[in-house]
Amino acid sequence: MRRFVFSLLILSLVIFGSLPVSHGQSAAIGSKVAARANSSLKLTLPVKEGSLRFAVMGDTGSGTDKQRQVANMMVQYRNIFPFDFVLMMGDNLYGSESAKDFETKFSDVYKVLLSDKVKFYATLGNHDLPMQINYANFNMNGKEYYRFKKGNVAFYSLNSNYMDKKQLAWLESELAKDTSDWKICFFHHPPYSSAKGHGSDQQLREIVEPIFVKYGVNVVLTGHDHVYERIKPQKGIYYFVSGAGGRLRESDVQTSPLVEKSFDRDMHFMLFEVVGNQMYFQAISRTGETVDSGVLVNQRKQK
Amino acid sequence: MPEFRGLPEVRREYQWLASCLPFCSSMKHKIKRSASLLLTTLVFSMGVLPIPSSVGIAQVQQKQNSQICTMDKQTISAFENRVKNYVKLRNQVKAKLPKLSKSSTPEQLESYRKSFEESLRAARVGAKRGDVFNTEGSDYIRRTLKSEFKGKDRAQLREIVFDAQTQAVKLRVNYPYPEPTELVEMPATVLLNLPQLPKEIKYRFVGHHLLLVDRDNNLIIDYMLNALP
Repeated sequence: MRRFVFSLLILSLVIFGSLPVSHGQSAAIGSKVAARANSSLKLTLPVKEGSLRFAVMGDTGSGTDKQRQVANMMVQYRNIFPFDFVLMMGDNLYGSESAKDFETKFSDVYKVLLSDKVKFYATLGNHDLPMQINYANFNMNGKEYYRFKKGNVAFYSLNSNYMDKKQLAWLESELAKDTSDWKICFFHHPPYSSAKGHGSDQQLREIVEPIFVKYGVNVVLTGHDHVYERIKPQKGIYYFVSGAGGRLRESDVQTSPLVEKSFDRDMHFMLFEVVGNQMYFQAISRTGETVDSGVLVNQRKQK
Repeated sequence: MPEFRGLPEVRREYQWLASCLPFCSSMKHKIKRSASLLLTTLVFSMGVLPIPSSVGIAQVQQKQNSQICTMDKQTISAFENRVKNYVKLRNQVKAKLPKLSKSSTPEQLESYRKSFEESLRAARVGAKRGDVFNTEGSDYIRRTLKSEFKGKDRAQLREIVFDAQTQAVKLRVNYPYPEPTELVEMPATVLLNLPQLPKEIKYRFVGHHLLLVDRDNNLIIDYMLNALP
């Protein structure tokens, strides 16, 4: 009898154990795993329905393990904060730029995001060859500087390596007719930065800041210095330095009256969410730690 | 509460206007240092501006400056023509290549850049230093840069230009700028004062030297030594 019961038990285990789980069960199990994996992630963004969500990363193209770790963290956060596109702050590829380099320093690293149809919008850094403007995955459409619009937000990718009269004239004319609620400019060299590595690009600032102020640019995103820094609003504009997506210059941020918040102990990326007149942001380290977060209020709508 | 104010445009307007004046301002320094005899000789040697003895130095200086500005305009115009000739040639070469899509793969980019580089190098066999910059053009640019690098922002300018790692760049006309080498940001205030270039060509600093580089194939079109003080 004992043998019979034991055999029956074994048989039932074999039969039920080998049955495929249904799709619903699988998804439930999958979501539990994802939930467990995501439980350590802390999101400060509201994830409101219909909001505009995007990520920001800069100075990424090193092809190192740490760049991959930042990319993996972005993928994890995307599970709880589904962003549609990523802004790249330049230095997209360090060193050589062969076909293989595009893979090892970009498309392999962000493979999961690319396969999920996340779009990347690049700008040129001082390590980038201008030919990158024709690379499909950078969505620059053959232009060194360009504008695109998502919802009520206009994005301007500028080439700060080469801010000549033509580009300035283009920027002015585009901004002058832009009626978007939010105007965001992104480029490589920071007009304001407290990092020792490079610091504020005052030459660039002298030329572009009056245009930003005149035409109501709300937010300026940059890279170049391999740290994170949120600058105290300057002439009513919010400035960020996000240049440690693939390279880090540790302990590089100096004490400065410009700094609102900084992080230079590890690499990072950023998440943004625009909800009407508010723009939420969160800076996240390679290991998933939230290093800064907050909400920006649209300056022009405050009046 | 942060608010946007329309900044006075004076500074910006000044920058735009200043693009045609650097030589005038640099000459003021020179003239101040020069003896009036030397200045008078120089003006007479141009055979354009006879100076009556009653004319004061200030008036001479003013006329001299306007005369030099006209000359500079000619120099700039000649430089721009040489640039146009280069662009015409490179566009002829480009037209014979298979068209590059604006959404290319890395393989297509690499292949296109190499073919463009090889074809253009072949079309420019014998190109040498000074073909585009030439002596007059180089002199003008040197003076312009000298004036810029003497200003209040000189420390920042030097930092931008000399901090970049460009030691590996060999200066050879009709050879590519080495791919893995950092590109120096062209300071915006300097760019506004140099002769403007079409989108196909970029200025680029390597140490004290100034290069003209083709945007799409990375070829060094020409370079001038010791452009910076």
